[in-house]
Amino acid sequence: MQDTEPVIVVERLSKRYGDLLAVNDVSFTVNTGEMFAFLGPNGAGKTTTVEIIETIRMPTSGRVTMLGMDVATCKAAIVRRIGVLPQGFSSFDRLTVRESLRYYARVFGCHADIDALMDLTDLRGKADAQFKTLSGGLKQRVGIAAALVNDPEVIFLDEPTTGLDPHARREVWAVLKGLQSRGKTIFLTTHHMEEAELLADTVAIISMGRIVAIDSPTRLTERHSDHLRLTLTSSDAAAFALIQTMGFSPTRAADGSIVVTVKRADDVRSLLDAMDRAGLTVGGLDVRKPNLEEVFLKLTGEQLAQSSKVSAR
Amino acid sequence: MTPRIVAATLVVRTKSFYRERSTLFFTFAFPVILVLVFGTIFTTPEHRTFELPVQDNSRSEASAKLLEGLATIDAFKVVPVPLDTDAKQYAKERKLNLLLVIPSELDAMLKRRFVERDVGASVPLTYIHDPSSTSVNTKIQLLNSIMAAANQAATGAPPMFTLVPESILAERYRFIEFFVPGIIAMAIMTSSLSNALNMNAELRQKGILRKLATTPVTRTDWLVSSILYQLILSVVSTAAILLVSYLVFDVRLHIDLWLPLIVFVAVIAFVGIGMLLTPFAKEAESASAVANAFLFPMMFLSGTFFPVEMMPGFLQTFAKVLPLYYVNESMRASMIFGDNAATLRSVGIAGAFAAVVFVAGTFNTRWADESE
Repeated sequence: MQDTEPVIVVERLSKRYGDLLAVNDVSFTVNTGEMFAFLGPNGAGKTTTVEIIETIRMPTSGRVTMLGMDVATCKAAIVRRIGVLPQGFSSFDRLTVRESLRYYARVFGCHADIDALMDLTDLRGKADAQFKTLSGGLKQRVGIAAALVNDPEVIFLDEPTTGLDPHARREVWAVLKGLQSRGKTIFLTTHHMEEAELLADTVAIISMGRIVAIDSPTRLTERHSDHLRLTLTSSDAAAFALIQTMGFSPTRAADGSIVVTVKRADDVRSLLDAMDRAGLTVGGLDVRKPNLEEVFLKLTGEQLAQSSKVSAR
Repeated sequence: MTPRIVAATLVVRTKSFYRERSTLFFTFAFPVILVLVFGTIFTTPEHRTFELPVQDNSRSEASAKLLEGLATIDAFKVVPVPLDTDAKQYAKERKLNLLLVIPSELDAMLKRRFVERDVGASVPLTYIHDPSSTSVNTKIQLLNSIMAAANQAATGAPPMFTLVPESILAERYRFIEFFVPGIIAMAIMTSSLSNALNMNAELRQKGILRKLATTPVTRTDWLVSSILYQLILSVVSTAAILLVSYLVFDVRLHIDLWLPLIVFVAVIAFVGIGMLLTPFAKEAESASAVANAFLFPMMFLSGTFFPVEMMPGFLQTFAKVLPLYYVNESMRASMIFGDNAATLRSVGIAGAFAAVVFVAGTFNTRWADESE
């Protein structure tokens, strides 16, 4: 990442609405070709930050440069080089998919290959369907296609899968992975842990207007995980006692399996070795490290998933 | 402003418009239907005949003459009412709003008056009426004027005063000629104001404005295309109203260059008001309520359906601060009277109003930004 150019540089950005400090002294950098995810619950300041970067909103203080230009002063030049899927995207109800995309292409004054865009977002079959007749997943894909008409260098996707069912969500993810493989810089905001874990190169966790952690999903979980959770079943009653004598504090789960919290991966090995030497059988075995969800909970004290507003619109 | 963007946006809005059947109906068909309905009701009152139920209790030669006299006037067709019934009850049961009762002493009274020269002798003709009925007044007026003429004739002297009509208009001027310019103004007002309000609320609510804000579309592009779109709608609906008025009612109106100018001024004025009201209509649902709260009082108070002079004084004063009043005045001054000076005066006031609300509205409308 060190040898790539920064596309977006955010320095000490703040945005205030009356008494509410929606974004509080946020700084980060997004590099070329990176899939950058902004992860946080609703109201954390994700959309406000993104809309400032997209030139829709003005910062209260701080500085944001995009492609080397200041977002507060170079709106016209910047919007030509970015593509945006706003939160809750919608288009003109009575226009067909093809007409919508053609409109956005004309607005940018570019000769976009509409058919190719529809192929990329798997919309060919719906080319002549009016927007209002489309399902949520299809509408989002129209929004993604509309964000691509000007062949942008940076693509912003604000909650691209919010409100979609799991199937539609996977379809959108497939499209995003396709974009990623074309080397586009993608700025994603989401409150879906799975989405960030699956797609992002870098995850910034934002809570109450502040960035509390920023790194790759793997390193975030590694750095903030201080334990592994080992679940095993054994038919020998001695197993529980043996684990206790090794200095661990096992607990019995409701189904009779033994749950042990260990510090390192090595502990798992020595524990299993000890059981093997004692001639104890080991049935089911499951080792889990904490996922982003747990990291998030630990860092912010907030729950992510329950705040999803699936039926908000 | 980028002409390419304005043109593309105009195409999109026009397409959206003609694919939406209900807006198509309210923009074009509704004013035309109003012209047809009101035109039919009010254009042919001179040929209208009312049925006049009469209970002739006299059954004399004199009463026969009286009835004959009533019947010679086109307005009334005499219908006899049975003598053995209570006239009031009869009218009530049959929902008759006017019933004339000729008293049995008619013959005797006439004799006293004309033979015995008793000036005090008079004949009370009772009319039983339903004051809550709106059409009854016209009939009573007719009846009064017939009776006045009869009384005058009974004196045997020629009338002292006669009325000689002389029109200030070169051509005949009927209700429909008054009505059509009002309907044109109403149609322009309704579609300009509610489209400006609804479109903005809807696009904002749906997040389309937020998307547009991240494209090269500027607020100026959007405003210019909105105005052009509204102008196209207004020109088409004006043409439709005029076409139907000419074909069905053979209206006589002066159509000259004032008309497009007035249409333009009206569009700017009402789009401007729509933009000013936008902050009060964040959702599409409340937008039509806000629009109607303005449209209906304006429609009724500004002389769309009837002349402002028919209203009480304070309402007339109020009407004169409403922009639709000046649009109506200028439409009528040019289309009916061909009065350039009066047209210019009204257009001038409407134009000044339009400029003020449009500029204020422009500053008032936010372009997808800082709205929450």
